[in-house]
Formats: sequence, C-alpha cells, structure tokens
Amino acid sequence: MSGEVKKNSGSLPRFSPNTDIIEKEDGFHIYMDMPGVQKEDLVIDLKENDLAISARAVYPRMEKVSNVHLEFGDCEYSRSFTISDVVDRENIKATLKNGVLEMFLPKAAKAKPRKIEIEVAQD
Amino acid sequence: MVIDFSSFYNLPRQLDRFFDEAWRPSMISQRRNAYPPVNISEDKSNIYVFSEVPGVDIEDVDITLSDGSLVIKGNRKHGTGNYYRQERPAGLFQRIVNLNVPIQADGVKARMKDGVLEITMPKADEAIPRKISIKAE
Repeated sequence: MSGEVKKNSGSLPRFSPNTDIIEKEDGFHIYMDMPGVQKEDLVIDLKENDLAISARAVYPRMEKVSNVHLEFGDCEYSRSFTISDVVDRENIKATLKNGVLEMFLPKAAKAKPRKIEIEVAQD
Repeated sequence: MVIDFSSFYNLPRQLDRFFDEAWRPSMISQRRNAYPPVNISEDKSNIYVFSEVPGVDIEDVDITLSDGSLVIKGNRKHGTGNYYRQERPAGLFQRIVNLNVPIQADGVKARMKDGVLEITMPKADEAIPRKISIKAE
C-alpha cells in the first residue's frame, strides 16, 4: 500500500455527514458518521453560537490495482449546528472512534429545569 | 429548543446538497444507494473489498465466503434517549459481492480502520495467470 496523496481541498466531493442528535438527562449527544477520517483531518470550530465540523477522508492509494467497482471515495464532510445558551460551552467533549464522531454537549447548570411556583391571585 | 434543527431554516443547505449531487463525479454514482457502500478492486494475486461501516465493531460483522460470493452481514446498534434527529442507518445490514474467480478461503484477511472494513482475499492458484516460457529449438 502506498502513502496518501494529498489533494487540493475543494476538488473533493462534499457530503453532509449523517447525524444523530440524542438528548439524555446529562445533555446532548451528537453522533456523526465520518468513515475514513483520521483525527488529524478533523476540525471542530465553535464560534459564538455556531458549531462547525469539517473533515476530510482520504483513502490510502494502492499501487498496481484495478478498480472493479466503486461506491465511495475521497471526500469532504462538513456540517454546522446552532447551539443556544443552554449548552455549557466550556465542557463540550468530542471523541472520534471507528469512523464516528461523538460530541457531548452538557447542559449548563443554570439551564437545569426549575419549577416555577404559581401563586393564586387574591382579590 | 437547544439545537436548531428545524427544517424550515435549512434551505441553503438543501440547495448546496442539490448542486453537490448534480456535480458529483459519475464514478461514485451509486453512493448511498445500498448500505453499506462497497468498493472492489483487484490486482494479480488478490481481490480487495472495502466497505464503509462507521460505528460498527469488527465483532459485530460477520463475513462469510460461500461458492462464488462474499457476504458481509452485521448489525448497527443505536443509542437510547430522545432522538431529535436520526439520519444514521441502524439495524441489520447485509451485502453480497459476487466473485468471478476462485478464492483461497483460508487466506482471507479482514480488518477495520476508521470505520472502513478492509477484506483481502487471495486468489486461488489456478486463477493466477502464469507466464509460460517457450523454448526455441
């Protein structure tokens, strides 16, 4: 197997990765399918309310091989989300495992549900 | 609501996607039509099958080789909780790759890296082309 060939970005097909968003008690979990992406090729950017994820998957080139049938190839993934103040920005965690990016967005303490007492108005 | 996932505000992305699909290289035309996507290539002595199965452990993949075909079977589990968005396919999947050459079954190797399954199948001896030297008299 030969080394990877770096290509100019922009020439690769772009995809919006399949994403699951799950709310659990502790916060939000985002799962994104990014097969072929290595940690070094993944960029997560948080600017104010915008969480932008982009990555590049470059598959290793093989020498003296003829391709019989292709359904996937080198590509770029990009997607962004808008998050609100309920998320504790300081503690967002991201892990990349088995081609899946998992992001954990904990809820900020002040956003934990608070019960509001309703007073009965007296005439 | 915390995360803006409403489809009402998604128009720019949908337009992007439309143009992406239109300008996509024709070679990768079958992407996303079948799950999981499969690439097949070969050289003189091996057949290589690659498949994108992100989030699946190699223990959950079942690869069987029967006469003339390779079957990739597996199960993608999904998490529990309140789903706000679910786009990642989950559940059982299976793909069959037809092989037109005999394979040395005991030499088949499979590994998983970054969510890509890689299967290397050595061709059986009788399938490898051989040069026959001709002696001049």
